[in-house]
Amino acid sequence: MGQGRVVRPVPAIAGGPGGSIASGTVLEIDQVSKRYGDVIAVDDLSLDVSAGELFGFVGRNGAGKTTTMRIVLGVLTPDAGEVRFGGMPLTFDRRRQIGYMPEERGLYPKMRLADQLSYLGELHGMTGADARASATRWLERFGLAERRNDELQALSLGNQQRIQLAAALVFAPELLVLDEPFAGLDPLAVDVMSAVLREQADAGIPVIFSSHELELVERVCDRVGIIDRGKMVASGTVDELRAGGRERRRVEVPGAADDWDVGVPGVSLVESDGSRRLFELDPGVDDQALLQAALATGPVRAFERVEPTLGELFRTVIGEAGA
Amino acid sequence: MNARSLRPGGTRRLPTTFLVARREAVMRLRSRVFVGGTTVMAVLVVVGIVAASLLAGRTTPVRVGFSGASQALERSFTASAAALGASVTVSDIADVTAGKAQVTAGTLDVLVTGSSTAPTAVVKVAIPSNVDSALYLASEAARLSEAGLPPAAVTSAMALVPVEVLQPSTPKDTQNLFAGLAVGILLWIALGIYGSQVAQGVVEEKATRIMEILLATIRPSRLLAGKVIGIGLVGLLQLTIVGAAALVAVQVTNVASIPALGVAGILGDLFWFVLGFLFYATAYSAVAALVSRQEEVQSAIAPISIFQIAGYLLVYAALPNPSGPLATVCSLLPPFAPILMAVRMAASDVPFWQVGLAAALTVASIVGLTWLAGRIYANAAMRIGTRVRFMDAFRG
Repeated sequence: MGQGRVVRPVPAIAGGPGGSIASGTVLEIDQVSKRYGDVIAVDDLSLDVSAGELFGFVGRNGAGKTTTMRIVLGVLTPDAGEVRFGGMPLTFDRRRQIGYMPEERGLYPKMRLADQLSYLGELHGMTGADARASATRWLERFGLAERRNDELQALSLGNQQRIQLAAALVFAPELLVLDEPFAGLDPLAVDVMSAVLREQADAGIPVIFSSHELELVERVCDRVGIIDRGKMVASGTVDELRAGGRERRRVEVPGAADDWDVGVPGVSLVESDGSRRLFELDPGVDDQALLQAALATGPVRAFERVEPTLGELFRTVIGEAGA
Repeated sequence: MNARSLRPGGTRRLPTTFLVARREAVMRLRSRVFVGGTTVMAVLVVVGIVAASLLAGRTTPVRVGFSGASQALERSFTASAAALGASVTVSDIADVTAGKAQVTAGTLDVLVTGSSTAPTAVVKVAIPSNVDSALYLASEAARLSEAGLPPAAVTSAMALVPVEVLQPSTPKDTQNLFAGLAVGILLWIALGIYGSQVAQGVVEEKATRIMEILLATIRPSRLLAGKVIGIGLVGLLQLTIVGAAALVAVQVTNVASIPALGVAGILGDLFWFVLGFLFYATAYSAVAALVSRQEEVQSAIAPISIFQIAGYLLVYAALPNPSGPLATVCSLLPPFAPILMAVRMAASDVPFWQVGLAAALTVASIVGLTWLAGRIYANAAMRIGTRVRFMDAFRG
């Protein structure tokens, strides 16, 4: 995913039972605020997710991710701001076409898998026959077709997670909103989950999900939004976020003294590990000055550009926001 | 809309309230608890009725045997017994000793010996008083005949005192009243079982967190209405099955006569039963949304039970004067109307406008309660843990 966004054709798909959606349908969260008493959960937050885009939402616990998602779903009412989908405010009927996976997983423990999925399909406006067929398809997709008549509580936790995802997908949603979909998944289930999300995005559906697992977000998402204390502090592709961050160079100088700092204006030491040191360059600073200063201490074994991981960007952005 | 299209897998898009009600009903009908519970309830009711019929004393006739000269009394004894309401069979006993042995063995209840004018009754423990009286009347008639009185004079001499009843009790009225009270009792049972199930179902959805998915899909008032209707219909079915078993048992054991209620009476009672269930079950669901654990359900619905109890107390206060101001006013108020109006309609002629007003107020309050419960549910559903205060949930 290091090449930035891949432009792919967005197929016009027949939408869910609510009607067809035009390609290019955008979810817009526009200056939304929500407070609980004295606590500001979401503060003037705006973001757009385009059709076919996989948007990752990262932030610390309590940053406002879940509240934002609940507002999109209409489970919570915002104090200010608006959520639009395809240019229109999200009405109740339109919200029924959103596939939702809440952070707190929940389905009926004593209901059979096929019944449960087709019930949810019907609640979202499918006919009984369509809902049955779709439930069967998703059970097959997740390898649980033989257990269609088992009660949910008889399943392992991993399989219950799969059913939870199927519950969000069974009615062919026009938009997917998933709160921590990767939490508690084993590596194989993570692969299945990310493949399904990619597939849905490729079918032209905007997908927004939250996660703590930054590596995963970096790998899977087209765009990332970092939220802190209810505010969107950074958003864009991972490359765009990197571009906004500072350049880093790793230098290996075996001959340097233990307390060697480069002493070049605009270059600061980030970390030191024996002879390997990591420097950060202020914007506009030429890295050749750093190289020459390093050569002055003796032979330079390595001089490399280091791409910050999303985790590092995250810590930087959150640190700045908190400062 | 044919029945097929309403089943899961049909080809129509169905209203969400219906889908919720269908799920509640199907899940319960399928469960062993329903099948087992219904069977146990039906068996208990039938056993109770059979036991009652055994304890109520046998209605089998008293077997009276006449030996020797006393056999002349048989015809007049039978006639007197019939007039006194005693059910008897008479037989000839050839041998007094053998007859006594039969009485001892219990195959004969009364042995009459001696002459027709001075008979002696032999019994094992005691003689039923009306059999004793019938025997006295028969022997007295025999003595009068022997004294030379003509048969017509004997008959008139032995005539029973006629009784004139000024206000005959018609069995239908008492049966109507009984049915009215039965509505109250059935409502109590139904709310105890199915009203609690509604409350538990609400808490279950909160505890399993599925309500977050549901509330993103369906309006809370429709969710609650579907739940109340689905569970209510299952309850009605269960009560109907148990009631039918009771009816058959009563019919077979003959322990009581089946109330000769009119169709209007039954429909009226059913109407108030349904309104009462909807009213209280909806109120239960609203307060149940305030708590997160099953253990808290009973204490949450306790304040509402106070209205139910007050309704029953009012029945006893109102019965002596079913058209008095207390009974009239209270029977119009929604919390009491389902119980009080059913009883009043059974006990007296209630003006039509009062029935209409009570029904309209109750229906309106059910609609209002459904809205209120939906609002509380939506606002309290996301607050897991401590009990949510009513006003917080109302304001949102």
